[in-house]
Amino acid sequence: MSDFKTVGKNERKADARGKVTGRTIYVDDLQMPGMLYGKVVRCYEHAHARVKKLDLSKAAGVPGVIKVLGPEDVTQKDYNNSVIPLMVAEETAGMLGDIDDQNIFTTHVKHYGDAIAGIIATSAEIAEQAAREIIVEYEPLPVYLTAEESKQPDAVQFVESKPGNLAFELPEPMFPGNALGWGDVDEAMKDADFVVEDEFYTPKQKQCQMEPNTYIALYDDEERLHCWTSTQMPKSVHRTLSKLFDIPLSRFKLHTEAIGGGFGARLGMILEPEVCAMALAVPGRHIKLQSPREEDWLTSPSRHPGRYKMKIGFKNDGTPVACDAKFVSYKGAYYIDGSGVAYTTGAWLSSMYKWGTLRYKGETYFTNQSTCGAFRGYGNPQTNFTMEQLVDRACNKLGMDPVEWRKRWHKDVGDDGWCAGVPLSSCALDECLDRGAEAIGWKEKRAKYAQQSGVKRKGIGVGVMVHTSGAMPMLLEHTVSTVKLNEDATAVVTLACTDIGQGSHTTLRQIAAETLGFPFEDVYMNVNDMDAAGYDIGAHASRTLYVGGGSVKAACEDAKQQLFERAANELEANPDDLVMEEKKIFVKGSPDKSILVEDITRVGVYNYINPETGQRDKEPGQIQGYSSYFPNHNSPPFGACFAEVEVDTETGEVTILEAVNATDIGRAINPAIVEGQLDGGAQQGFGFALTEEMYFNEDGKCLNNGFTDYKMLGASDMPKMTDILVENPDPIGPFGAKGVGEGGLVSPIGAVANAIYNAIGVQITEAPITPEKILAALENS
Amino acid sequence: MNNHSITLKINGEEYKLTVPANRLLLDVLREDLQMTETKYGCGTGECGACTVLVEDNKNICSCVTLAATMDGREITTVAGLEKDGELHPVQEAFIDEFAVQCGYCIPGMVLKTVSMLSENPKPSEEEIRRGLEGNMCRCTGYTKIVNAVQKASENMAGSES
Repeated sequence: MSDFKTVGKNERKADARGKVTGRTIYVDDLQMPGMLYGKVVRCYEHAHARVKKLDLSKAAGVPGVIKVLGPEDVTQKDYNNSVIPLMVAEETAGMLGDIDDQNIFTTHVKHYGDAIAGIIATSAEIAEQAAREIIVEYEPLPVYLTAEESKQPDAVQFVESKPGNLAFELPEPMFPGNALGWGDVDEAMKDADFVVEDEFYTPKQKQCQMEPNTYIALYDDEERLHCWTSTQMPKSVHRTLSKLFDIPLSRFKLHTEAIGGGFGARLGMILEPEVCAMALAVPGRHIKLQSPREEDWLTSPSRHPGRYKMKIGFKNDGTPVACDAKFVSYKGAYYIDGSGVAYTTGAWLSSMYKWGTLRYKGETYFTNQSTCGAFRGYGNPQTNFTMEQLVDRACNKLGMDPVEWRKRWHKDVGDDGWCAGVPLSSCALDECLDRGAEAIGWKEKRAKYAQQSGVKRKGIGVGVMVHTSGAMPMLLEHTVSTVKLNEDATAVVTLACTDIGQGSHTTLRQIAAETLGFPFEDVYMNVNDMDAAGYDIGAHASRTLYVGGGSVKAACEDAKQQLFERAANELEANPDDLVMEEKKIFVKGSPDKSILVEDITRVGVYNYINPETGQRDKEPGQIQGYSSYFPNHNSPPFGACFAEVEVDTETGEVTILEAVNATDIGRAINPAIVEGQLDGGAQQGFGFALTEEMYFNEDGKCLNNGFTDYKMLGASDMPKMTDILVENPDPIGPFGAKGVGEGGLVSPIGAVANAIYNAIGVQITEAPITPEKILAALENS
Repeated sequence: MNNHSITLKINGEEYKLTVPANRLLLDVLREDLQMTETKYGCGTGECGACTVLVEDNKNICSCVTLAATMDGREITTVAGLEKDGELHPVQEAFIDEFAVQCGYCIPGMVLKTVSMLSENPKPSEEEIRRGLEGNMCRCTGYTKIVNAVQKASENMAGSES
């Protein structure tokens, strides 16, 4: 094993004790003196309408109401809740056609629950009561729930700049033919011995982070705006809000507390613009804005649902000569992450297998559903459900073992990853497939389940994935860290990386301690000090450990270098010849020629002038390490998930009996934390495949915006997960680590869909694979 | 709205309160008494983030419980489990087994576990999984939470023998 001191160990999560005692503070737990309560008034009458008349006067007269705000009482600037536009150059954003299409309060209601006004009152109850006194008249507009409806020539336009309600397609200047890929797909398809093709549907899945959204904002007496938020991306939100309200960054502080999950729902803003607008309207008072669960469901983004057509041509030896794919997604009301998901859905497709030729088109159309945006996996689940089922269909025709086909045709080191020109830096997918197959008993079970005729039929399936570690080169990747060495030879790392539950503050601390050579306990993470912390994009794209970790490592190396230079002076040695053990620095091979780290750090701070000589005896200055880190790669992680299911052919019910998730994560900085990411990802992946979807009636009303009617897999629905951490250190990631935040959700989707196919011999092309769909498919087969 | 004068015994301390008839126990705890360790997750009794214990370690959802109906009752929140600076074995097990991620469901999960183990000190894995239905977690996939319940069960059995 490695000779690391803390990397690779299951160090206790730093936040766990506060969370089991309930002492950890989330934003909703904060009470400020004299705090007022905000309420966003929403349209629950229509999913698409124009506000013809808005009379706030009666509401303003309710005792206890401090202020009512209509669309014209707040900034008129357009904005977008997504922070992605910050991460690309302006010219690129222009080429992509990224737009700002939101207002704080709208006069064009585009989805059920859209915001039309705001109320500030002395209590939440009074604000609620006042909301009922608002008089609104609407002009109803036709409701479009799908792209097929909203793209019709006579449809009402959501935004003038997007004719045909086409929010985004791959732009011609960057993707000739509006397609991503390579080679002549049409010609190659002609050479195929056979093709598999189908149209799939993937669902509108909700992140369901357990903490609903609460915000507090204050415009203080120094004319400084404050906003307490649970965003995953504080610095990016800071910048976006600063532009929206024309307040310089120095007069605007974002405050973060513990974050109760994210999964992409908090990638950017949700109600930060609303609460800040309220605070600016009532200077000097804290405003709390609480968003109840049923409202969070409609106001934070969901996964993009859509129709995915795919056609793959194969040679009889299994060679995939051509892949032709098109994903048309339903954007929902606003542009949030409009270009991102439509592009990456194809990017993941391009990085998985060695397609001879590839053509992927991605289009997304506005609809009158709640808006879509980022959700863990960011397009990869949609691709996985579609691609992995078609690959298994082909394997059946080929008479080839799905594991063997995948081992032969997955992309490997040196092949382009998800972005052309950025080759894969490491890949241990073969080992994932081999060890996963072994652990679940693939060969035996596959043979055993080949001929079944009973009511209950078992099946086993595999799905593989490739994802990313950070979004470079598509998006900016940048994290700033500082590490301060205290006079007693302990350290404080300051940065803005968020821990949304995934454990990043613990793993980053392990990276810091390992790099400095200090015990884990001697490093403190200063993580909620957004005035002190430098820039960080925020938690997305499985980047925090990879980019944040890279930054922490560089800052700690900088500090250690300074420490060694001072030690070298004292010991009259070359810094390169020094080593540190137990906070003592000595010349390699001569442990007696040594100096305590504390004797350097203390003297750097308490640096006196020698009264006899009038000189300083030692080098003054407190050591601080610094890094403004831009990674030059995205080291994609790979993984293989195996699932075994039982399908009841009379009821259509699916039970997941067992699952093994083998993932190539480069190196596990904290194995238990990595397992937690894989286990939690699997719950969301299995949910995508089997149960989770937001439903709307024809008027555009969401029918299941709450836990009662939206089915997530519970403790007794989930199988016991076996996680296999395949450690094949990546040459670029910190200590060889790659991102693990999202991939664990992806491959379970293909695995469970293929297990059902194996059990019943029919593929279900629409997710979630509900009992009704299984029964219908069995009937038609 | 009628007001009710009630007495609640929370974590061993008595609180005399006057509450409107429609005031929820969760709001009394979080807002009136600033005991924010009990969490709001859904408001409909589905997610279990607001779980508290009443006498004999019975678990209830405080978000669907009227405070006025709790007059004279003993209530334990997760803050009441720690004794003299010592964590409850269930809390220890949740830390040791890495059952905690974002932490928002954890006060409810911990209390549900205390309740489950006091009824059934040696539950099977299936009993644990069934027992945890009603408490939702979106981070862990439940694997490490189930491990924590098993470990707590073992440790509590060990400490009694």
